[in-house]
Amino acid sequence: MKSLKNHISLIIPLFAILFAVEFYFIVDKAITEYQKNMSKDYSIIVVSKKPLTLQELKAHEPHVVSLKEVDSSLVINRLKQNGITINFKELKNFLPKFYKVYLDHFPTPDEIKKIKKRLLTYKTITRVEIFLKVHEKIYHFLVFLHGISQIFLFIVFVTSILLVFKQIEVWHLEHKERMYIMALFGAPLWMRNAILIKLSVIDTLISAFLVYIIYLYFISTDYLKNLLGVENINITPGDIFHDLLWLMGLGLLISVVNVIIVSLRQPRI
Amino acid sequence: MAKNVIVAKDLYLEYKKDTPIIKESTFAIKSGSFVFITGPSGSGKSTLLKSFYGELRPRSGILQIGGVSLNSIKPSKLAFLRKYLGIIFQDYKLIKEWTVKKNVMLPLLIAGYSKNVCEAQTARLLKHVRLEGKEEYYPLELSGGEQQRVAMARALAHNPVIILADEPTGNLDEYSSRVIWNLLEGANEQLGTTVVVVTHSIPTNLKVPFKHFYIEDGKVYEIS
Ligand SMILES: Nc1ncnc2c1ncn2[C@@H]1O[C@H](COP(=O)(O)OP(=O)(O)OP(=O)(O)O)[C@@H](O)[C@H]1O
Ligand SMILES: [Mg+2]
Repeated sequence: MKSLKNHISLIIPLFAILFAVEFYFIVDKAITEYQKNMSKDYSIIVVSKKPLTLQELKAHEPHVVSLKEVDSSLVINRLKQNGITINFKELKNFLPKFYKVYLDHFPTPDEIKKIKKRLLTYKTITRVEIFLKVHEKIYHFLVFLHGISQIFLFIVFVTSILLVFKQIEVWHLEHKERMYIMALFGAPLWMRNAILIKLSVIDTLISAFLVYIIYLYFISTDYLKNLLGVENINITPGDIFHDLLWLMGLGLLISVVNVIIVSLRQPRI
Repeated sequence: MAKNVIVAKDLYLEYKKDTPIIKESTFAIKSGSFVFITGPSGSGKSTLLKSFYGELRPRSGILQIGGVSLNSIKPSKLAFLRKYLGIIFQDYKLIKEWTVKKNVMLPLLIAGYSKNVCEAQTARLLKHVRLEGKEEYYPLELSGGEQQRVAMARALAHNPVIILADEPTGNLDEYSSRVIWNLLEGANEQLGTTVVVVTHSIPTNLKVPFKHFYIEDGKVYEIS
């Protein structure tokens, strides 16, 4: 019973660290995914006196990836419905061209203002609409999310490391006498600490495995997708498994380093 | 001429500053000899043994074991040296979470013997100290005298070069004491092991020649 309690006292903080790290990984992936999606959805409207080609525009603004003409008949139909009677055929030639311009990435608010300026230097372009308000909101939300997950990770990390350290110290006290006797018979440092290392390795594996199972569950229930609100974010069990190996490495490093610190803090025998 | 395995010159030992337990003591113990250390309770016998296995460093003077100075020995070197010692502590110092068998095996595990050798040697020694059948007991399930005999078996397990025994028969009846003395004599005679024994009463019917050190008022005297 006592040893079970001891294990749990190490598994919980290790689990918290690994859970937070994995959560951070996933949020990071989601944000990258968001940005990709945003750059697909987000477009600038460019109004031009003359037809534009992609090559022309690219020469001016290398971040442009595609260009879609907004059909001016849409505008004309609106006018027709309002009962305005003009020679629409003729009007069509007078109306400027409207284009939706797509970029290769989701730009920062500053970047987008620069892009606007550069586009306006092109002589045929008369207007550029960048929808700055909407864009800024989304952009700042992403930055906020990223920052929050970093802070969350940091806090969990620091408190958990302290708990891991405390627990290993408790173990050390518990096994102190045995380690002392072993030292009197000439057991090397690693042999005396083998029990602590063994315990922490076992607990690390258990924690990492728990994290793995929980995230697998999240994926299978679409819980994550709903939580993060990203439709086509693609996190497979394979990705989580890949992260799991990473997490095990991290967990082992934390606990073994802690064992070494604890054992070096003890007086020589 | 046998070499000296333990050499002390003007040895000074203390726990607290300026409270000497051993002082101004110069002596040598020859390889392969059998030595008794006696003295009143609290005179520093256990303390002297403690300095031999490096738990207490000399405050001043010289102390060498097997030609190695213990004054400022590095931990790794001390660990190496301890593998050649077999120690019986006054309070036994058995590992209470381990079975009798595993306790006896400890020095063999540290020396890195194979499992078979460990098993065979442990079985042999437990038989010598008449503890067959108690292999799987834990120390706290044994009587004081039985625990002392486990400590004896552990000290002999790896055929040490020097045995340091602190009152190895303190808790034993006459018959069990005889068994212990026979084992120590055997190691001394057959393997040439140096034996240093702290005791209150030197056994009368010992077969091997021995030396006698006496501690009084912090000084170690060689009596015979
Ligand atoms: N860890 C310690 N810290 C401080 N003083 C100690 C410590 N161990 C022993 N002493 C002191 O050193 C003195 C000698 O103790 P030691 O154990 O060497 O005596 P001893 O000769 O073995 O006695 P006994 O025959 O009763 O076992 C004692 O006065 C004791 O108080
Ligand atoms: Mg004593």
